[in-house]
Amino acid sequence: MSIAMHAIKMPPAHHYDEMLIPSSASAISTRDHYRSYFQWLNNSPEQTLTQRRAQADLLFRRIGITFTVYGEEGGTERLIPSDVIPRMITADEWDYLERGLTQRVHAINLFLADIYHDQKILKANLIPSEQILGNAQFQTKMIGVNVPHNVYVSITGVDIVRNNDGKYYVLEDNLRVPSGVSYMLMNRKMMMRLFPELFLQQSVRPVEHYPSLLLQTLREASTIDNPTVALLTPGRYNSAYFEHTFLAQQMGIELVEGQDLFVKDDYVYMRTTTGPQRVDVMYRRLDDVFLDPLAFRPDSALGVPGLFEAYRKGNIVICNAIGTGVADDKSIYPYVPEMIKFYLGEEPILNNVPTYQCRKPDELSYVLANLKDLVVKEVHGAGGYGMLVGPASTESERETFATVVKANPSNYIAQPTLALSSCPCFVGAGIAPRHIDLRPFVLTGREVRMVPGGLTRVALKEGSLVVNSSQGGGTKDTWVLGA
Amino acid sequence: MLSRVASHLYWMSRYLERAENMARILDVTQSLAMLDPSADSGGAMTPIVITETAEEFAATGLPATYANVVAFLAWDRFHPSSIRNCIESTRENARAVRGSITSEMWENINDTWIAFQETARNTDPLMTGNDFFEWVKERSHLFRGVTFATALRDQPYHFTRLGTFLERADNTARILNVKYAQEAPDDFQERSDDQADYYRLSAVLRSVSALEAYRDTYRDTIEPRRVAEIMIFDAKLPRSLRFCMDETTHVLDLLPKDSGRIPRRIASEINARLRYGTVDEVLSYGLKRYIADFLHDMMRLGEAVNTSFMDGR
Repeated sequence: MSIAMHAIKMPPAHHYDEMLIPSSASAISTRDHYRSYFQWLNNSPEQTLTQRRAQADLLFRRIGITFTVYGEEGGTERLIPSDVIPRMITADEWDYLERGLTQRVHAINLFLADIYHDQKILKANLIPSEQILGNAQFQTKMIGVNVPHNVYVSITGVDIVRNNDGKYYVLEDNLRVPSGVSYMLMNRKMMMRLFPELFLQQSVRPVEHYPSLLLQTLREASTIDNPTVALLTPGRYNSAYFEHTFLAQQMGIELVEGQDLFVKDDYVYMRTTTGPQRVDVMYRRLDDVFLDPLAFRPDSALGVPGLFEAYRKGNIVICNAIGTGVADDKSIYPYVPEMIKFYLGEEPILNNVPTYQCRKPDELSYVLANLKDLVVKEVHGAGGYGMLVGPASTESERETFATVVKANPSNYIAQPTLALSSCPCFVGAGIAPRHIDLRPFVLTGREVRMVPGGLTRVALKEGSLVVNSSQGGGTKDTWVLGA
Repeated sequence: MLSRVASHLYWMSRYLERAENMARILDVTQSLAMLDPSADSGGAMTPIVITETAEEFAATGLPATYANVVAFLAWDRFHPSSIRNCIESTRENARAVRGSITSEMWENINDTWIAFQETARNTDPLMTGNDFFEWVKERSHLFRGVTFATALRDQPYHFTRLGTFLERADNTARILNVKYAQEAPDDFQERSDDQADYYRLSAVLRSVSALEAYRDTYRDTIEPRRVAEIMIFDAKLPRSLRFCMDETTHVLDLLPKDSGRIPRRIASEINARLRYGTVDEVLSYGLKRYIADFLHDMMRLGEAVNTSFMDGR
């Protein structure tokens, strides 16, 4: 097949690309599930893609699908670039991911119920007690507090990457207030509007029912019939405000701010035009420490005084529960496979990235001997601080870092550097490979539910592995193909 | 419905209506200025008087020319009711509750805001022309149309309309007060032959889209007494005080009755005076006094709306 229409830049030979198979031959070969799309691509003039991308940008701007960049003047709104070439996942692969995610999230919920009650896993010495009890994300106030149906994490956004060995690895379990699902939904809406012919040519599993699954999940979190559900947002200067308004509207529930709520006699009420109205379930998009100035940070103006007491007494359900952050901490992440074996008696389906814990002497010496090939991270660190990326480091940086690690080994973990698979993107210079990840959203109510796929994030800078939207990341529509 | 949401919707539509009214006032002022470029600065200051912003304008230190007044009222960042700030406030209020309005309403407002920024970049404030005022009016019309065609007839819709009509009544009263009562001859009964007066009165009518309505209603020359009558008492003219208060009382009846008892009472009192009053009574009482009373009552009504629905007891 000739490629007259587009300048397609091939991925390097040692990379795993989702669409293209690198080869020395002059013809480009694609993976089977991309075949019909690729044919369409070759028959579409570049102009078509350019036009439709411009159309997409216009629509996103008009609809105001933005995120807020913090900074001067209370933040500016920016668009998240949305690429027009879809990322495809085969039915079999999704089936595997779905089973793995269900198992993983199930085990994490059992783990959270355990550590806030009997602490069997600590008594069994599978995780050192100090790793949990001394963890900043462990909320001692939650010990002994009962959560309906023992569901701590109703909404999980699991970050998954594919390495150059072709296998998927879980990078991170986001168990606090994972975001991005609105971009998944808007990407699909936009793609269906811009490329209807593609959806007629190939069966793509739908994702549009996510808000209704989410509402069902939130309702099931309560023990009462017909609970009133509300979404708590920090307000319109929060970076994910668009998503908060979008989800509240799609679910037909109130979008509330702290100032809209008050607690009376340990029940939570909204201030409405017809007087107070009780709230039974709160989908909060606010971190633990801001929820209640009486129980957590006293300077928080975003929360509701007395909320925790109402929660403790079981008069309101908060999703996700308070204190879930302890389970997505980097120092706890290596134990997830252990949790799956301990609570479910099963072998883990999804791979963890092999993680070396520097607090263990033999692993520490391995890390120190292999700094050049590893990424070393602080266990509580976030946002890329306090870490060493081995392959990109200099000799002297490694020496300095080794000294720091040796001084406090238990503060560090190390992982091999993952390659991250790529997917062709329509960039300024034509079509070129960019690194991607995948964030499926897992909902836990009476059962575990998810829509096929998730949010695919793209590192738009050539060669970059950083997919965060605040750092030049974009997104693309994720197609799980029909069987 | 959340009290905060009610408040955002109410202010969203008040600010948009205010932007539209400002455009109307400036448009008419500008066309009057073109009729008589040699006129003194008094006429140029009329919009400043209507909007009660003399102090703020003086603070800019600019001479009172038409161009400066228009630049100030249309574009000034520090004047809270400039068209620029009204459009920004409309959009900010809408964004705060974008989940409570239809996506068409939100996209329309957001579009207006995006296009406004583009215009702001490409416009010299001192050269603001009629096309800009037309554009503001048109965007406001469009938003009302989108609202009418897409919104569920429920509380969010009612609060949106409440904001529109309270703001509009307030504005019509101010135009009457300044452009008419201050400059009108003492004897309202007298038919005016003065040509300048004709233009002044027709401009007043035009600023509330009532010139054609006037001709249809009276089929006669423009006469000060009838101008007052149509703007205050006409039940069919969408910008008359009577029409605005008919709508307001109607909308208040659709809102929660228990919470709304006091605003409903105040609105009904104001409305009764409009339904059962006559222009002769108003003129013998004194138009200026009548308008001052009306504006005072509207202020009380605005406060009552706020306390009853938006404070969130």
